[in-house]
Amino acid sequence: MASEPHASGYLSAPLYLLCVALVTGVAIATAMALRPAFAHKMLEMTGLEAMPQAVPNSFYAARVAPLFAQHCISCHGETRQKAELWLDSYAFVLRGGRHGAVIHPRDPKTSELMTRITLPAGDDKAMPPEGKTPLSPDDVTVIRLWIAAGASPTMPAAAIKGVPQLVAEVTFPDLDPAGTRRRRAPLANVMQQLSARYPGVAAYESRNSADLELNAALRGATFTDTDLKAFLPLHDHIVHMDLSGTAITDASAQALAQMTALQTLRLTNTKTGDATISALAALKSLKFLTVTGTHATGPALAPLSKRGVTIHGDGDAD
Amino acid sequence: MGGLGAFFLNSAMAEPNAAKNAASAAALPIQHDPSAPLSPLAPPFTPKVRRVIYLHMGGSPSQLELFDHKPELTKFNGRDCPEVFLKGKRFAFITGVPKLLGTMYPFHQAGKSGTWISDRLPHLEKMIDDMCVINSMRTDQFNHAPAQLLVQTGDPRLGHASLGSWVTYGLGSENQNLPGFIVMISSSSTTANAGKPLWGSGFLPSVYQGVQCRSAGEPVLYLDNPKGVSRVERRQVLDAVDEINRQTYAELGNPETVARIAQYEMSFRMQLEASDAMDITREPAHVLARYGAEPGKTSFANNCLVARRLAERGVRFIQLYHWGWDSHGTPVDQGLNVGLVDCCHATDQPTAALLTDLKERGLLEDTLIVWGGEFGRTPMQENRGGQEMKYIGRDHHPEAFSIWLAGGGIKSGITHGATDDLGYDVVRDPVEVRDLHATTLYLLGFDYRTFSYSYQGLDQKLTGVKPARVVSEILA
Repeated sequence: MASEPHASGYLSAPLYLLCVALVTGVAIATAMALRPAFAHKMLEMTGLEAMPQAVPNSFYAARVAPLFAQHCISCHGETRQKAELWLDSYAFVLRGGRHGAVIHPRDPKTSELMTRITLPAGDDKAMPPEGKTPLSPDDVTVIRLWIAAGASPTMPAAAIKGVPQLVAEVTFPDLDPAGTRRRRAPLANVMQQLSARYPGVAAYESRNSADLELNAALRGATFTDTDLKAFLPLHDHIVHMDLSGTAITDASAQALAQMTALQTLRLTNTKTGDATISALAALKSLKFLTVTGTHATGPALAPLSKRGVTIHGDGDAD
Repeated sequence: MGGLGAFFLNSAMAEPNAAKNAASAAALPIQHDPSAPLSPLAPPFTPKVRRVIYLHMGGSPSQLELFDHKPELTKFNGRDCPEVFLKGKRFAFITGVPKLLGTMYPFHQAGKSGTWISDRLPHLEKMIDDMCVINSMRTDQFNHAPAQLLVQTGDPRLGHASLGSWVTYGLGSENQNLPGFIVMISSSSTTANAGKPLWGSGFLPSVYQGVQCRSAGEPVLYLDNPKGVSRVERRQVLDAVDEINRQTYAELGNPETVARIAQYEMSFRMQLEASDAMDITREPAHVLARYGAEPGKTSFANNCLVARRLAERGVRFIQLYHWGWDSHGTPVDQGLNVGLVDCCHATDQPTAALLTDLKERGLLEDTLIVWGGEFGRTPMQENRGGQEMKYIGRDHHPEAFSIWLAGGGIKSGITHGATDDLGYDVVRDPVEVRDLHATTLYLLGFDYRTFSYSYQGLDQKLTGVKPARVVSEILA
């Protein structure tokens, strides 16, 4: 029997598996004893230990976790765990690392993490280490206030007072070519005619908008009251208008009063005066008005100014 | 495998915004009519400003003598620079252990905003409440030419498109009789380090490059007709040349040929309008006096006044360079005690006049003014070759510098960012050069992440590949 000697010289399958399990078990136990963070991860994965979780809208999630993510987890996270410290989840932040807890709730002064992030740059123990972007004073304040308030995983973002304002990031609106085409459609014919007659004078403010800018300043004295009237069909779409140096006069007052969408109006160096200014009372969206070099006077401008319109120049035509 | 497929599907669905942004970027390409490459084009988003006036202070003014108030540095004047600031650092000229150099001029708080400023800019100080001072600018270049290229083109190497050419590419020119991007140069001493590539178009079509104009004599060299050649004859020559160029384009299809046709045509139209725009003798005496402008001279004052005239005429990007701020302390004109004083004297009044003038005309509301150099200057006194220098100076300092912005969309009367007590490193709200670019494009109605030009297989962007952000804290 060729197979007989094998049975006595090698372990049987069940015994072999037992040995592998034993060795693995010892390895895991050793790793768990040496690396507390690993131990917790194992216990948590096997369901033997519950992890405290941060609530999505909590102060921790909104303000603290992003700072750890930005400044700390490249060394204290999934890929590397220097000093056995993981700062990528609330549970591990509270657990600390090889040298014990780094956060003592309600006591920032004795919290090692606070000490490290407030050491002067250049100190060997300062965190983040030299060469990395330091936390800003505002960032440090955010973490300090959170620890002082109990280092809670659930406390809402608005609950802690005196916190530096979170910087709002700029967002760009969605581009909506179909919607823009639809909103421009009613103007299409008029725009086409006016563009042929007055090239470059009226233009859409952006490629995502049906609002218009009217710049007649480049045409100078060739642009008259009659020319401005030609743009009346666009009256509720023109938001910015520059009539500087044109030949318009107070005869345009009524036309301007109908430009109800106007936010900015420049009349610099035109022969306009108080009659035009009075007509502007009808423009509820007006924010900026320039009357340098016109005949406008203080009393006529006063109601606009009182309403919050920023006015440049006081009509010092000479 | 099904599990893996599901994983990929999930990760794709987890980023709906990324997919949406990519889609919207593709939806609005920059498309110019090739025969009219400078025709005006609206920006993708509602703009806060319609033009930029960039005042580049070449050589780099000392922030420690103008905007970054450091009383602690003055206390330690003459003491050895702490080792922590020198370890592992390389300077352009400083060697060994330099001495700290206290601020040379007294600082005070000005305006309603109480913004700190030195006594060197008494005119500009009156406009301080219209300005936003940034004391936390950073760069990674410490020699002039690459640092200037980084500030103007987003990259320290040659070949990239300048900020002004990006703007002209994206918006065209509002005035078809003038270039969309005009550059003017004045100097107190030295001249340009990086030269014309600072306003070049790099990989963009060359029609978008800046056109350098002179503030004395003919604004553009060879723009006038030669003696004995009338405008009619010039037109006939151009028609013949255009015809040949059109045949060449039909044969070879190189867009640069179309650009050339467009440039010849624009120069012809410019013959009338450019001379008028540049002619400051048309300004009344009190305006000339406000700027300190003297017709016929080449000066920053004249250039500022021309800048206002160009802004009124629809030029989108106006760039003034004033050289001479490189205060090392070597020759007399590079001393903080002499050269810097001269530069302040040459630029203070005209800069203030430009702000005042734009404001009075309502143009400051939709103009962005940028003032700044290419890096900062060291808190230490320069000791070139280990020697004591004849005049007092500071070396190049990329770690921190000051610029200021004014105009539409900018929160005025504020100071953004801060350096440490010695003015060495930024400790609060650092602003990288690419952040300044992202912010400038945002104000003009562009998203810096999607405003790109395909070149050498890459979607080239002004802000490059490192993460940039719009500095939202300084927006009104």
